[in-house]
Amino acid sequence: MSGETATRTKSGGATIIGYRSVVKRFGNFVALDGVSLEVHAGEVVCLIGPSGSGKSTLLRCTNGLEALDGGDIAFEGASLPREERALRAVRRRMGMVFQSFELFPHLTARENVAEGPRTVLRESRAESDRRADALLDKVGLADKAGNYPSALSGGQQQRVAIARALAMEPDVMLFDEPTSALDPETIGEVLNVMKKLADEGMTMVVVTHEMTFARRVGDWIAVFDAGRIVEQGPPAQIFDAPTTERTRDFLSHLGWQG
Amino acid sequence: MIFDWSVVWQHRDALVAGTATTILLTVATMAIAVPCGIAVAILRMYGVAPVRAAATAYVELFRNLPLILVVFWAFYVLPILTGLGLSPLATGLAALVLNVTAYNAETFRAGINSIRRGQVEAAMALGMSRAQALRRVVVPQAVRRILPVLASTWVSLFKDTSLVSVIAVSELSYAAMQVRAQTFRVLEMLTAMAAIYWLLGYPQAKLTDWIQRRYAVSE
Repeated sequence: MSGETATRTKSGGATIIGYRSVVKRFGNFVALDGVSLEVHAGEVVCLIGPSGSGKSTLLRCTNGLEALDGGDIAFEGASLPREERALRAVRRRMGMVFQSFELFPHLTARENVAEGPRTVLRESRAESDRRADALLDKVGLADKAGNYPSALSGGQQQRVAIARALAMEPDVMLFDEPTSALDPETIGEVLNVMKKLADEGMTMVVVTHEMTFARRVGDWIAVFDAGRIVEQGPPAQIFDAPTTERTRDFLSHLGWQG
Repeated sequence: MIFDWSVVWQHRDALVAGTATTILLTVATMAIAVPCGIAVAILRMYGVAPVRAAATAYVELFRNLPLILVVFWAFYVLPILTGLGLSPLATGLAALVLNVTAYNAETFRAGINSIRRGQVEAAMALGMSRAQALRRVVVPQAVRRILPVLASTWVSLFKDTSLVSVIAVSELSYAAMQVRAQTFRVLEMLTAMAAIYWLLGYPQAKLTDWIQRRYAVSE
């Protein structure tokens, strides 16, 4: 019923993130109940499933925002360190994009993107500003560099947030429902930026309810239910020929027609 | 009753000196009580258990005592505790600082608590330490958010400095009362005192309103 039900057809390369029997509890609630999954270099892995099934929790465990209660997460072959300083060194190599953007409201778009390099990498102002402008250009917001987040639409804010994460030159990008808080008309612009990143070969783990995106851009799909992965495989399997009842139920609830 | 307003002009030097002391006391108190308030708030929020308890006890004690009591307490008890012969001005300043620091600590704590958890997470996801997240992301936002509260604390403090006159600090109200005692011109001196407090306080209150509009947080 679970586990690897298909061999990877389009796998980019070496394993970047390895989840092994990951367990996470919040009090008596078991959020993750033995999750195993591999993320290979250059792959887009999409985590789908009903709300509260553990997708976001797994993502938040990936960069240590939540601590594990069992199992192991290995990043480039080494278990996530527990010690703060070492954990920070790993974190800066993983970019994270949040559902609610979490841009810093007291900083302009440019300052938001430059903040990580400036504070964490001790880059000079000129250097980090140049980097920020280049990244804002990349996400199509070169003209909004001087704007504060409050003067940007949701889609624009999320694109700035993507640029902010990219500024640390991460090896992996983690997306936590990046379009769930957006107006329908601005979802596309964010997904396009993500698609572009994927095409450039960025390794991405994406928690999403956008099935079309998962189907078209995803290389590997993991279906969550009640803290477990009930099925994982390439999009063709998950969306066209799901092997478990749970997956079929979930997709039919979303009105997925294939 | 015949008013003799010339008494105000005759004693202008005493009034000007008193006004200067009032302003000095306000500025000095705030200059000390803002950083101390931040420190106490951070100790209360992030310190180890005994430090947290001590910071909480301090805040809850001084926030709930009448300022005039603290002034008297500082006057009689502080020299015994410290063994120092403090001047009335230093004693008054100490009392005001003890009181306003407690208020500022609560203001900063509320400000820091009002910043969403996600902001710290976003900072930490970039690789920042907790201290960096606090310094670069949380405190700058918290300060903007509480600036209006600090401004009204300032306006209250400006008037409350008059309470240190009970230990003979020659700020504005003490100076005015001294002139009254020498000349028996009660109404004139009270009116002059009111006029000075108001003329100085009103622009501050207006400035506070402006700050509230200017720094209203928009997310």
